[in-house]
Formats: sequence, C-alpha cells, structure tokens
Amino acid sequence: MPSPNRFVAVALVAASALAVHAAGTVRVVTKDPAGSPVPDAVAYVQALDSAVEVHPPAEPVAITQHDQEFDPYVTPVVVGTRVVFPNRDNVQHHVYSVSPAKKFEIPLYIGESTATIVFDHPGPVTLGCNIHDWMVAYVFVLSTPYFAKTGADGTADIAGLPPGRYRLEVWHPRLAGKVGREITILESGDTTQVVSVTLRPDRRIRRAPDAGSADYK
Amino acid sequence: MGSTGPRLPQFRRFGTRLLLLIAGLVAAAQCADYLFVRRANRANALERINESLRQGTLLFTKRVDARLDELSGRAALMSDDYSIRQLFLKEQPDPATVRSALQSYSVRMGVPFMALLSPDGQRIGDTGGALPGAALKPFQDLVKVAETVDDPKAKGFARLPPDGAGGKLYALLVVPIYAPKPEIVAWIGLALPIDHTFATELKSDAQLEVTFYYGRGADMQPVESTLQEGAAKSSAPPSVTEGIMTVGVGGESYVTAYRPLLPLITPGSASIALQRSLEAELAPSRQLERFLLILFLASLAAAALIAPVFALNLSNPLRALARHTEVIAGGDYTSRLRLDRVDEIGQLATAFNRMSEGLAERDRVRDLLDKNVSPEVAAQLLRDGGALGGEEREVTVLFVDLRSFTRLSESMPPREVLTLLNRYFDRMSGIVEIYRGIVDKYIGDAIMALFGAPVEQPGHADNAILAALEMKSALARLNAELTTEGRAKLSFGIGINTARIIAGNIGSSRRLNYSVVGDGVNVAARLQDLTRMSQFKADILVSASTLRAARGRYRVRDLGAAPVRGRDEPVEVFSIEGTE
Repeated sequence: MPSPNRFVAVALVAASALAVHAAGTVRVVTKDPAGSPVPDAVAYVQALDSAVEVHPPAEPVAITQHDQEFDPYVTPVVVGTRVVFPNRDNVQHHVYSVSPAKKFEIPLYIGESTATIVFDHPGPVTLGCNIHDWMVAYVFVLSTPYFAKTGADGTADIAGLPPGRYRLEVWHPRLAGKVGREITILESGDTTQVVSVTLRPDRRIRRAPDAGSADYK
Repeated sequence: MGSTGPRLPQFRRFGTRLLLLIAGLVAAAQCADYLFVRRANRANALERINESLRQGTLLFTKRVDARLDELSGRAALMSDDYSIRQLFLKEQPDPATVRSALQSYSVRMGVPFMALLSPDGQRIGDTGGALPGAALKPFQDLVKVAETVDDPKAKGFARLPPDGAGGKLYALLVVPIYAPKPEIVAWIGLALPIDHTFATELKSDAQLEVTFYYGRGADMQPVESTLQEGAAKSSAPPSVTEGIMTVGVGGESYVTAYRPLLPLITPGSASIALQRSLEAELAPSRQLERFLLILFLASLAAAALIAPVFALNLSNPLRALARHTEVIAGGDYTSRLRLDRVDEIGQLATAFNRMSEGLAERDRVRDLLDKNVSPEVAAQLLRDGGALGGEEREVTVLFVDLRSFTRLSESMPPREVLTLLNRYFDRMSGIVEIYRGIVDKYIGDAIMALFGAPVEQPGHADNAILAALEMKSALARLNAELTTEGRAKLSFGIGINTARIIAGNIGSSRRLNYSVVGDGVNVAARLQDLTRMSQFKADILVSASTLRAARGRYRVRDLGAAPVRGRDEPVEVFSIEGTE
C-alpha cells in the first residue's frame, strides 16, 4: 500500500499547479421532476484518474441544537472529521445514531458537550435525539475533498477541480435513486451540470406545538 | 254405468252443502292466512339474519382492524423507546438480549409472538416459543408490502406455522422502527391470534356463531368455532368463498355468511363463517304460527258447529213449507204454517198462508155458488169474475108456488116443514136443470126459474113449458108418495112469461145476486097468481108472448084476457093442458 504521505504530496503539487494554471469549478444545478430546486443536497465528485487524499479540517465541525432542532439539517464532511454537538437549548438532548457508518450516543447533556465524535467511515449517518422524536439531521461522510451542499436555489459549486475525469454524484436524505454521471474537467475552465433529483416524500415528524412557548405567556 | 261424465257431488241435504261451503271458506281463508304469516315470518327472519350477518362481517373486520391499529400504536411507542435503540447501538446485538427484550414487549402488548427484522427483512430476533423460525416468512412478505406504501406498515392473515399440522390463524402486522423517523432501522412483526377467545368475543358482540376455516384448495377445515366441535365439523365446509347461504348444522338450518380472510399471506385459503340458526330466529314467530293454527282449527270447528245449525234454521222451514205444500195439494186449506220469523222465509210462509186463505176463500165461494145459484150462473160468475154486466135479452121466466102451504105448515113441526119443502124443491129444481133452466131464487115456498139466461138458448120458451108439464107430473108422483106416507097432498100453480128483460148481477158492491128485473118478471108472477082463480081451473098459465116464442105444439086452452095487478092492460092468458 503506498504511503499516504507521498500521495498527499503528489496531490498537493498537482493541485497547486492546477490551481495556478487551470483549476475548474463544477456548478451543479439540482432540479426535482417538477423543475424546482433541491436544497440540502450534497454534490460531490470522485476523481477517476488518480486517488486524492482527504484531510479533515483541523477544527471540529459543529452541529448545534437550538430551538430543539439540529442545525444544519445536512452536514457533508470528509472522513475523519471531528464533529461537536453544542446544545444551545435550555433542555437536555440525547444525540444518537444507529447508522452503520457511525453508531454513537451522547447521553443527556446541556451546553457545550465535551464529546467530540469522529466520523471515520464514509456513508450517511442519521442523527436523532432520544428526547425529541422530531429532531433529525444527517452527516454525510465523504472520501473525497470535492463536495458542496446546495443552497436554497438548488445549486452547489464544487471548486478547485484539477482537469481530469470525475464521477459526479448527488446525495440527499430523501433520495429515491442513485444519481451519478461521469464528467470531465478541461483546462479551459468551468462547467455546469444540471442534475435531476427525485425525492421520496418528506416523512419527518411534524413537531408538536410547544405548549410552553413564550408566545402564549 | 260409465256413460255419465264427471259431475259435481249432489247433496240431498242442504245442510251438508252449507257445512261444506262454510267450512271450506273458513279453511281456505285461515289456511291462506296461516301460510302467508308463515311465509312472511320466514322472510322477515331471513332478512334479520342477513342484516345481522352483514353487521357481523363488518364487526369482524372492525375488530381485527381496531386490534391491529391498537397494536400498531403500541409498537410505535415501543419503537421510540430508548431501550430498543440501545440494541441497535451495538455493532451486533446480543441475540439472547434481543429475545428477552422482545419477550418483555410481547407481554406489554399482549401478543403471543413478536419478531424483529432488519430493514431488508432479515431476522434480527424473535420471541421464539411456540412459533419456530419458519414463521418469519409471512412477516418478511409483509415487509416487502410495507416498503412500498406511504405509511410503511402492512397487515394480513396467516396460518402459523404455514406448514405442517397444528397451525393456527393469526392476523399479522409489521410496523417500522424509526431512529429517528423517517429512517427505518428495523421492522417489528406482531401476531394477533384469531383463536377461540377471539371467536367467543365476536360471538358475544354480534350474537352470531363464528367459525374460522382454513384449507389448501377446496379442502377447508374448521380451525376455530363457537359451535360444538362436532357441529362445526359436521357443518358443510364453505362451497363458496363469499356469500350468504343456508347450511345444515347438526340437523338445524343455519344461515351462514362466508367471507374470505384477506389478504392471506400464507398459501391456501381462509375464511370466516358467521351463522345464525334459522330455527332459533323463528322461535318467537313459531308461537304466533301455533296460535294461528289453533285459531284455524277452532274456527273450523266453530264453522262445523254453526253451519248445521244455520242450515237447519234454513232447511227446517223449507221442509215445513214442502210439507205444507203437500197438505194444500191434498186439499186442506185450513191448516196454517206457523214460522216465527220476519225474514224472506217468514215472508214466504206468510205468502203461503195467504195463498191457503185465497184458495179456501175461492173454494168457499165456489161451494156457496154451487149451492145457492145454478151451476151455469156459478160458472159464468167465476168466468167473468163476478162482474156480470147487465144485458137485455129475451128470457122465459117461470114462477111455481105451492098453494095453501102456509096453512099446511102451521099444522106441522118446523123441521118437518123444512124437510118437506126441501124434498119438493129438490124435485122441482132438478127438473129446471134438466130443461137447462136455472133456479133464480127461492121465495118462501115459491121458485123463480129462468130459461135463456145467463146462457142464451134458442128454445127457452119450450123448455119452460116442458119443465112446467114435467113439474106437474113430478108433483103427482110426490103426492102419491105423500099419500102413502099419510100426509096431505101438495098443489101448485105455475106462471110462465116470455119477455125482454134485464139480466145481470143485482145488489150492492158487497153482495150481488144474478137475477133479472123487468115487467116480464112481474107478468110471470101474476100469471102464477091467476092459477088460484077458480074459474080458470088451470095449474099452468102462460102468456101469449110465450106461446109465440114456443115452437112446439101444445094443447092450449085460451082463457081470454085477464086483468093483471100492476098493469093497465089486461093480459091474454092461456092454460097449458099438455103436449100434442
């Protein structure tokens, strides 16, 4: 097995060369069958010609809980990323996942949790809270550094791609079927990919009206 | 024999006919009534049963659905349970822990069997016990169904275990375990037994017998039943998968609704049979029918009793009338029919009595006529209805009067006077009739006779003269008899006159006499008076008009004109001495 460090070195050299000379950007435009944009989709590309090493960020990524919801709803991270779950509510939460990519739980806590979870396997991870059934969020663990999340307009820009062949994929918590295609990044520059995404119905639990809300006091 | 065709039975007695008629009508009406009520009761009972079978079928579906919904709710609570998630936090859950956890849950939910399946339908664990692992197949089939629907759960009926003997019916349910929703991390499978308890509860709510059948193909066997086991087995297995029909169970008729248990996950077929005994449903109506039957027999008996009485009431007076008719036919008009009733028969009797009176009256009148008037007058009276109009015609009137009879009668007892007189009248009247005259009336010891009335006769004058001569001979014979008897002789005088006079019924409207009036009658009477004149020495005096009218030849002595009382002119008088 080649030394990871050497791969990283090669990649960095290549990346910096491309970055200097010709770094491409893929604009992914998601549309559902009705033509509406699909937010919270993770668009990512896998290099087909060479292996690209991923480096988790130095600082942990935060998925906060406030107003008894996870924020953000979808968090794409690379393998090895550390995630913290700060609780900004005045009630305790009990964050857990039983997904094969990462099974964990952080027993009841409030405030800044000391627990840092390392997402060390690629794949979707569904987060829940044992106290609040409606709370749901997703961590999508990637083995590629080239990814972006669609905004409200349904577009995501994956930047800094060296020229070459890639496999473009889109993931969404309610994705009905796999969406993927091969794309080629040329030295000349950017490309736009329109991807049709079919989603399953949203079956998230409707949150119960908060009887204790300040609005009613 | 054999030549006569079919004919209606003839009854000699009216009562028999009436009895048969009334009894027949009563029987027909009551029989129709009974049959109609019986039919209506049966139709009503069938309708009621059909309705309760429909309700029962709905109730069964509702009960199963309600129980499964309740279990589904409990399973949802269970799937949100913290402890169940703990199982899935492990890389490989401990099988013994999973089993004991599921056993706890099955107790909480009140179901005998639970299974936990992975999202792709693989077994994670189950409660074990009575159901072996093979029982998982139906749950796996249900998972495949549940995956395809929006609300991911599925239910169906199954026999567990599907193979081998001793399988029992269950309603199965699979519901998802979310961690969190909508992420399905496992499926829970539950089995609700469709057992005897279930059947008994359904029976108590629906008031219907409940039997569950299961079989492969046509070979359906009862697996649970509220009927006696023998009865359920003897009951014909469903020949239809769905529908209502009447089947015999242990000698009773049960209206049965079959409905397949759908969907059935395991191979074969299963159905529920809801039944109610037609006899039991009809039991209250039977009481009414029995009452109607008694009423039927009672009214038939009443009709049988009343009809003869009624018939006698009608036939007795009719027979009495018949007898009475015989009596009248025999000539007895005096007897009267006494029927104490005012109806048509009473009126008939009254009419009969009036008829008797009428006949008696007619008889009496005829009798009186016969005795009091000459047969000719009587016949004419009867013929002309007693309204003899007056008519003028030529007749010969003859008066014959006994001489010195008043003196004679004073020396005799009255009875003998009458006997003698009648004896004399009998002879004289007979002679009048022989000569086709009629005795118009008896006036004391005198006879007034008419010739030529009321029936016209050409030789009335001759007849009168001949009758007078014959009377004279008859008187001689009577006197010979009287001499022999030692009595005094009789002598008479006869006056005859022929004249046009008026003949007809004379009298008041109440009493009429056929007679003649006119001067000619007086002349005849006066001529008779003249015979008393000693100078004439004659017993028979006739007028000239009589001689003119007579065609016969007589020895006549002309006595010349004689004055007649009541007439201005004297009358020529002739004495008839005999015939030539």
